Amino acid sequence: MSTASSSVPTSPARGAGTPILEVDDLRVQFRTGSGLVNAVNGVSYTVSEGETLAILGESGSGKSVSAQAIMGILDTPPAEITSGRIVFEGRDLLTLPEEEQRKVRGPGISMIFQDALSALNPVYSVGFQIGEMFRAHRGTSRKEAKQHAVELMERVRIPAAKERVNDYPHQFSGGMRQRVMIAMALALDPRILIADEPTTALDVTVQAQVMDLLKDLQRDTGMGLILITHDLGVVNEVADNVAVMYAGRIVERGTVDEVFGNPAHPYTDGLMRSIPQVEVKGGRLQPIGGQPPNLAAIPSGCPFHPRCPKRRTGAQAAPGRDCVADVPPLRLVVPGRQAACHYSEEVLGV
Amino acid sequence: MSDASSGSSAADPSAEVDRALAEAAASRPTHTPGDVLLEVKDLKKHFPLTQGIVLKRTVGHVRAVDGVNLSLRRGETVGLVGESGCGKSTVTKMLVALEKPTDGQILYKGEDVTRMSGRALKQYRREVQIIFQDPYASLNPRMTVGDIVAEGWSVHADIAPRKGRLQRTQELMERVGLNPDFVNRYPHQFSGGQRQRIGIARALALQPEVIVCDEPVSALDVSVQAQVVNLLEDLQNDFGLSYLFIAHDLSVVRHISDRVAVMYLGSIVEEGTDAQVYGSPAHPYTQALLSSVPVHEPHLRGLKERILLQGDVPSPANPPSGCRFRTRCWKAQDICATEPPALVDRGQGHPSACHFAEARAVVPTEG
Repeated sequence: MSTASSSVPTSPARGAGTPILEVDDLRVQFRTGSGLVNAVNGVSYTVSEGETLAILGESGSGKSVSAQAIMGILDTPPAEITSGRIVFEGRDLLTLPEEEQRKVRGPGISMIFQDALSALNPVYSVGFQIGEMFRAHRGTSRKEAKQHAVELMERVRIPAAKERVNDYPHQFSGGMRQRVMIAMALALDPRILIADEPTTALDVTVQAQVMDLLKDLQRDTGMGLILITHDLGVVNEVADNVAVMYAGRIVERGTVDEVFGNPAHPYTDGLMRSIPQVEVKGGRLQPIGGQPPNLAAIPSGCPFHPRCPKRRTGAQAAPGRDCVADVPPLRLVVPGRQAACHYSEEVLGV
Repeated sequence: MSDASSGSSAADPSAEVDRALAEAAASRPTHTPGDVLLEVKDLKKHFPLTQGIVLKRTVGHVRAVDGVNLSLRRGETVGLVGESGCGKSTVTKMLVALEKPTDGQILYKGEDVTRMSGRALKQYRREVQIIFQDPYASLNPRMTVGDIVAEGWSVHADIAPRKGRLQRTQELMERVGLNPDFVNRYPHQFSGGQRQRIGIARALALQPEVIVCDEPVSALDVSVQAQVVNLLEDLQNDFGLSYLFIAHDLSVVRHISDRVAVMYLGSIVEEGTDAQVYGSPAHPYTQALLSSVPVHEPHLRGLKERILLQGDVPSPANPPSGCRFRTRCWKAQDICATEPPALVDRGQGHPSACHFAEARAVVPTEG
């Protein structure tokens, strides 16, 4: 369903860069004691040079699992990539042997995580850990690697980098630890940086510092940035394009301005309405009813239908567009915008 | 209620619990609406820093809370915002008598809680309840939902007669939007939002007057947060509850609060109505905090002035002299290092603790 649609440029303004990463119809399952969990169900997207793509979703929407599949850090078993392609600079990573995959990913794609303290090794100094990238991939000497580490720490604006290069992770504050992670990720000049909830654990003033840094670094290097988050505010402020995920699928995709300004999927619309604003004290909040779905028992038809105020079924539904029975494909609704809803035109009001 | 999780039955048993709670409210000595229920005066909590294992000696103090003044009126919601480590959670622990203050007073209906004991303290603990942040950690996994909600009655037996407890529990569950048939289920069978409802039912069971909400929605998914916020607002309207609402999400705090206090490194730097604090913040820290909040409306992006603070929050074990914010403040001058600014109105219409307080709109307004 999505092979055809993924070639549609989602961002005419920023689509100028060449595509670096293409994910096509990715599916991931987990075998657990309580049955098969379908975490990612046919996700497709492309990331171009200099583009920031936000993957927006709640917990259990499959946003992190799809990123882990790209990085090859899924635990298999229980996880299994059942289908799809991950094409990085023209090569499908999933068809390469393990050793080859590592050689491509190592310098090409990096990732930073939400919890920097648990992602860093507590018994090695940060300089050693940053320098490890150069020693492992370029065979640099220890001394030279440390020199590179200091340069990188300066680049991510860690004050007094020369003095702090031998400090351990616990000696840094949360924001500084996240900068150490970013320094490690940038060491080998990756083409793609995946940031999985990079600022969720940080305070709002520090979040602003780190997001600013990421944007500046992206401008300098031209790398593609995949930003995984649940925070609509962060998406609005830093991303060019956004893919909204629900129950392991992309339900809406387009430029941030268009998707947030005029949502085409009832879920996106519901999210926009349910959050309070800092600018103005509004009236009563309009929550989305119900609970996020259980991935071991995803509802039939449109996975959002049990919570959807616009759902149509039986006699109300158009033929082949019954929300309870027919899975809505991700389709082009208006130029530059895709949505997986049978009745997107109504949601949009076009 | 706009919630699909309750498999509600035809009759409305929640009317029963409403009536019971309303009766309880009516039987209390009458206060004029808006009178001060809870007042905190110069509250301090210093945790000792020790060295040595056998012969422990105190080498310093972490000044987690250092002189906080707050008041909460009947039926009102006061929001307390601040970043991690500013001491807001320590304030809540002292308010529900889980932690003893080092100094200062907590006056509840005019009585000092720090001097209470026996019956008076027991009564206070019933009337001032708490809802915790993490609905996964704050519910005992080995107890059924019914037992969790009803547990308070084993201490405060006079609230619910032994006979009708199961029914009361189910009424409470219905009231917070849970299916009352799930009374024998365990917490792990519920989602995060539903667990938070269990925590709310537990607090309501004791017919409290004040509920301290310690980050009640920050662990929840965005789509579920609004459900819980609305529930809290409904309960407040129905039962005349007063909330002290602690959170780091400034948007949620603005939405729910009548008054807002901003905390930094153990003390309150600014206080006022939501319109005063958000609309014309006077303290540099409040301004920086508000300017850092990402807005989610595309047409408001870029309209906001960005104030990026330098550095990190200093350690509360060794706070800066004078004004505690001066190490990160762009307005700091010599006086800031020597003289701690008092929390008073400096002509902005609401109190702020800055020598150079100056109202400044940092958040763009609609239209």
